[in-house]
Amino acid sequence: MDQDDRRGWTLLAPPFLYALALLAAPLLTILVFSFWTQDYLTIDRTLTLANYEEAVTDPLYRQLMLRSVTVAGLVTLATVVLAYPVAYFVSFHVDPGRKSLWLFLITIPFWTSYLLRVFLWKVILGYNGVLNSALTGLGIIDEPLTFLLYNVNAVVITLAHAFAPFAILPIFVALEKIDRSLLEASRDLGEGRLRTFLRVTLPLSMPGVVAAVLIVFIPTIGDYVTPALVGGPGGLLIANMIQTQFLGLNNQPMGATLAVIAMLVVTVIALAFVLVTRRWTRA
Amino acid sequence: MTDPLIALRGVHKHYGDYHALRGIDLDIRTGEFFSLLGPSGCGKTTLLRTIAGFEEVSEGTVMLGGQDMRGVPPNRRPTNMVFQSYAIFPHLTVAQNVGFGLRRRSDLNARARDTLVADALDMVGLDGFGARAATALSGGQRQRVALARALVLKPKVLLLDEPLSALDKKMREQMQVELMRLQRQVGITFILVTHDQEEALVMSDRIAVMFEGGLAQVDEAEALYRRPASRRVAEFIGTMNVLPATVAGDTVDVAGLGPVPLSEIGHAAEGGGTVAVGMRPESWTLLAPGDPAPPRATDGTVAEVVYYGDMTYYDVALPGAERPVRVSMRNLFGSDVLEIGAPARLGWSPGAMVLFR
Repeated sequence: MDQDDRRGWTLLAPPFLYALALLAAPLLTILVFSFWTQDYLTIDRTLTLANYEEAVTDPLYRQLMLRSVTVAGLVTLATVVLAYPVAYFVSFHVDPGRKSLWLFLITIPFWTSYLLRVFLWKVILGYNGVLNSALTGLGIIDEPLTFLLYNVNAVVITLAHAFAPFAILPIFVALEKIDRSLLEASRDLGEGRLRTFLRVTLPLSMPGVVAAVLIVFIPTIGDYVTPALVGGPGGLLIANMIQTQFLGLNNQPMGATLAVIAMLVVTVIALAFVLVTRRWTRA
Repeated sequence: MTDPLIALRGVHKHYGDYHALRGIDLDIRTGEFFSLLGPSGCGKTTLLRTIAGFEEVSEGTVMLGGQDMRGVPPNRRPTNMVFQSYAIFPHLTVAQNVGFGLRRRSDLNARARDTLVADALDMVGLDGFGARAATALSGGQRQRVALARALVLKPKVLLLDEPLSALDKKMREQMQVELMRLQRQVGITFILVTHDQEEALVMSDRIAVMFEGGLAQVDEAEALYRRPASRRVAEFIGTMNVLPATVAGDTVDVAGLGPVPLSEIGHAAEGGGTVAVGMRPESWTLLAPGDPAPPRATDGTVAEVVYYGDMTYYDVALPGAERPVRVSMRNLFGSDVLEIGAPARLGWSPGAMVLFR
């Protein structure tokens, strides 16, 4: 080993050890656990696919997984659809000298903790919450609405709000990169504003949209704080079941199996999405 | 005379406090190759964008084909533009780029569109490039795509915003010839914006010289060169030796050359306050020993030699003149290139002089 090699390894060692200890090791542990089984108080360490069989066949797990995918999909859709106009406005209609100020303002709500923001949504959406009081006070409704909190809607609203900047920023960056003369060229070649948007701006901003979708979808599918706090019994997701298996039911192997399945589902969906959208993100 | 295709009347453009266009009156005829020439910041691109519809005029009218263009957006004007950056859509193929503006033409079916696109690509020499990605093209090819994309729509006017500035010298000269050929072929009015006076002289039927948002002179190439309207135009187009002079009665006393009858001077133009006389470098004759003596000649000394291969430029110091005059000579076979410090006898004629006052 010459000196260059040694220096390279010395530089690489700390992050490498860190990744090994805190990423690879826990993941491997989870993977191994998923092939073991819980035998009342002890863990049976014979390797078996029994957990996977149960996870796939039990309708409860299937339903939770399906609901997680649906909720993550809805959150992603809502976040990206709402984030696009914001990013578009900042990129195209804000004075260049003020863009960073706008981005700064967009991130301000995210200076408070995630947990606090979830609780604030409880205050807004609750039975005696801000929204219901306002609507009752204005005489629009007679009785408080009950479909706002403790269900899937509340989970979608809260998560969509929580991930908004993560969707706004990549779309903004993609829009900023579009050469403005391309938009003029489209106008010059006979297209109006709407058709120019559909034929030039939107396709050229697709890399940002794809990035936003992945950034929002991947973490939301595994989120468990929000469904636990605002989801109610009908709004629980697969991550809540994983937590229950590990801590409540003391069935760590089953929890591990569900975690591995959730990771696989995310990977497959994300890869499929990347493949489908490749024609817009190339070049 | 028929109505001009483009008529600008009293066009002003303000950006806040900045007065970009200051009262432009201009007529451009059908089928003309017209150039807007001026230094950067003179408003020539603003004027082009005003015609295209990307800028609304602050004052005055823009008439196109007899119609007032006030409030008409770029997509409803009979103009198409070749952008300085070419603005080729990176997410489309070459054929999709060229066919971009044909998509809204409901009278064409897919096959008719494909034929038009193929013809347009053929016309600019990109036959068979249709399926290529637009990002895989060289600068010259991108420019051809931009040309085909605009010309396929058969506009009344093609606007070109410094289209050759990004190309290297060889390519630029080739494209100049090609643009002239294309213009003759399609018969469409071309309006070219350029800061390169040589390019404007080579290509245009008429040239408008612009300074500080106003038109300094609108004329044919030769007239601009031989009979500039002002000292500023004279010095912007090509090289002009300017010698201080004084007018006394009907003679002009030119520094370094002596008195010249006013009546023999070729052309009179506006000066910049003081009286001066201009002579182009090629209007002098560098006399070799033994050449027949011309009616007027002056002795000087070579102060600088710039050798170009086919030509040599000499800076010749004349006694009584503050700065040396620049003289260009063709390097004919058998002629020697003079050295710095060598004596030089210059022949000249008052007919080639421009008087500025």
